[in-house]
Amino acid sequence: MLWVAVHLPLLSLESFAATLPAAAADRPLALMDAHRIVSANAPAQQLGVKPGLKRATALALAPHLTLAQADARRDEEALNAVAHTALAFTPNVTIQPANDAVGAEQATPDTVLLEVQGSLRYFGGHERQLQGLLQRLQRALVPLGHRLHLANAPTALGAALLARVHRRFDGVDLALTQRALDAAPVWLLGPGRTHWEALQGMGLRTLADLRGLPRSGVARRFGAALLDELDRAYGAVPDPRVCIVLPPVFESRLELFARADTTEQLLHGAGLLLDRLIAWLAAQHAFVRRFTLVMQHEPRWRRDARTPSETTFELALAEPSRDRAHLLMLLRERLAHLALPAPTLELRLHAADIARRAPPNTELFPTPRSEREGLLRLIERLQARLGHERVQCLAAVDDHRPELATVVRPADAQSVCRAHASVVAMPPATIPVDDDSIEPAPGVKVRPVWLLNEGEPLQERNSEPLLEGQPLELLSGPERIESGWWDMRLVERDYFIAQLPDGALVWIYRTRQRASNPRPGWFLQGRFG
Amino acid sequence: MDLLPPAATALPPRPVLPPVRDQPLRRMLREAPHTLHPTLWLGHQLGRQADTTCASGFAALDAQLPGGGWPRRALSELLLRQPGIGEIRLLSPCLTAVQRSGRLVMLFDPPATLSAWALAQLGFDVEQLLIINTRTKALPSGDSLWALEQALKSGHVGAVLAWLPPRLRAERLRRLQLAAHAHDGPAFVLREMTAAERPTAAPLRLALRPAGADALGVRLLKRRGPPLETPLRLALPPVLSSAVRERARAGFEQGSAALQGATFINLAGLR
Repeated sequence: MLWVAVHLPLLSLESFAATLPAAAADRPLALMDAHRIVSANAPAQQLGVKPGLKRATALALAPHLTLAQADARRDEEALNAVAHTALAFTPNVTIQPANDAVGAEQATPDTVLLEVQGSLRYFGGHERQLQGLLQRLQRALVPLGHRLHLANAPTALGAALLARVHRRFDGVDLALTQRALDAAPVWLLGPGRTHWEALQGMGLRTLADLRGLPRSGVARRFGAALLDELDRAYGAVPDPRVCIVLPPVFESRLELFARADTTEQLLHGAGLLLDRLIAWLAAQHAFVRRFTLVMQHEPRWRRDARTPSETTFELALAEPSRDRAHLLMLLRERLAHLALPAPTLELRLHAADIARRAPPNTELFPTPRSEREGLLRLIERLQARLGHERVQCLAAVDDHRPELATVVRPADAQSVCRAHASVVAMPPATIPVDDDSIEPAPGVKVRPVWLLNEGEPLQERNSEPLLEGQPLELLSGPERIESGWWDMRLVERDYFIAQLPDGALVWIYRTRQRASNPRPGWFLQGRFG
Repeated sequence: MDLLPPAATALPPRPVLPPVRDQPLRRMLREAPHTLHPTLWLGHQLGRQADTTCASGFAALDAQLPGGGWPRRALSELLLRQPGIGEIRLLSPCLTAVQRSGRLVMLFDPPATLSAWALAQLGFDVEQLLIINTRTKALPSGDSLWALEQALKSGHVGAVLAWLPPRLRAERLRRLQLAAHAHDGPAFVLREMTAAERPTAAPLRLALRPAGADALGVRLLKRRGPPLETPLRLALPPVLSSAVRERARAGFEQGSAALQGATFINLAGLR
């Protein structure tokens, strides 16, 4: 067994700082619980704020101190993201439970344990086995922005305890681990436990001192649990752990400390949630297909009952992805177009629709596959900024009426790119040469490229049509189109190809003279582009 | 043009180096400068970037375009008074060739509805055309140029055809031209005729005007090479049968003569 403990000494402070706007994270911060400071960051500690002070005292020392309530749920969500990141390295991940709390003090777990014996060879070969894995683990945890203590030891509890005292501890074998534990201070066993003050008061400094006492006496005085914990840490008794299981649906929330008015502020919070989503995806080698971002608004701004208390928007991807930069860019474009009814207090990210597939290869040279992906991303980006209906495709419909023969519909990025990939097999057609003698293909009705959706009425002079004051010379026609009696859009037209004096060709029609037709005359339908 | 002076100064001064080495270099520079560097050409010659162009499908035009075709990785500016004078038929051989090579063609802000049947007749694969329509937005120019720039920068689009908003500022076009360096394919921007009065960042600029039925007059306003005085007359993929075309020709010549006469009479009437 080889356990790696990832201890986050500043977990609650960091999980709180993540809810602040980016600029405010370096100011003095402190968390309090039951009107007493429980933790303070480095700038606050420089001003003299330290755990145990009363709220009023802390504010007297540092008037600009940002004070917030410790929140066990917030810490838990942050720690879950760390555990999900670890799951990408080994299936055996467990969260070291905090010591059972007695009294007011609420201890939250802040250590993740990984059993990595089986993963060593995969991550980094034989020589620098563990180093390679730990480097990758640290790199994977960078986006979450926590300060880490790493310890590895043959026993789970030993690693967890030693990670609390050492920033980096490498316990290659049991004997070394036991020696390190012997030298470890006795307070490691945790504040909040029963008899902890008595332990402190007995003059015991290190765990070796505690182990030197007679076992029966310790058991009678402090209970068997303490001895059991020591034995597990030293590897004298087995220490089975239950591994965490990845939730099937991703759900994470972030309560913002200050209300967010601008897109940038929202994106800062959303970026953190995306990091957690990506950790969850990476743990199961999956890519997200769609996710939902819920923005809960400040209640005070709900002027009337019609204003919604939250805004939900869903982001669907053409190609499943877990690329942070791409997802964040799509969010930015979508949020920029969203008018929010009120400032946002809380963000929630929800994802259930995922695709499991092999990770993309990192390619040096462009390949059809990478080009297809790049094209998909481009289309997605355009759709996110301009809206789906602005990215269009044409389709030819079998209808004689020119205004109904072409349908413009929003493009489906997937199908465009699929057609694009398959078309390579098409045989090359001959490029027409510029020769005055070629004829248009026989039997095909010639249609102009540019169409007017509604015929533009033309002026007439001596019952001859005029376009912009210029006479039109009819060259070919008439081509009669009489269709559409079944859907109440009957057309009865005679089409002609006509020439402007400068030689440009247009497509015009004359409506047929009928009693039912209110406006007979000439109309412009299209231009031959 | 501006490539020449550094190359000329790079020539060794006559007294320092022996004439044996001097002569071949000078001759090469005079006769075939492109063998020294692919982007080097003399003012009276036509620039050649044979590998970075794609054929236009019109032999007369290819002969006058530097490198023998529409340039890749650069903007080609086409000026025309109004849509519908044959510009799509002029570009269709090049664009359909791009589609046949399996790449996507994107159209930005076409000025009217496109007919899928007409495009199919010209040889386009309609499914493979993507149309980005930003005209109807409240902020037209910003978004449409953004979209065009993204498409050019991505380098994954086969060919781009964009109708630019009128009175575009020069630096915007320069920005697009820079973005086009990443775009491996032809990029056409269509602009109004009055833009000819202002300089352009695009290395190629053409003015198009109709020259009779199924024909297009092309003037090369700017190219990498000497200016071309006489406009080209290109026969477009035909709409009309040859008999009708003959009739149309006669009408066109008569019409243009009548038009000149009409102008004269108008001026006389004013006086």
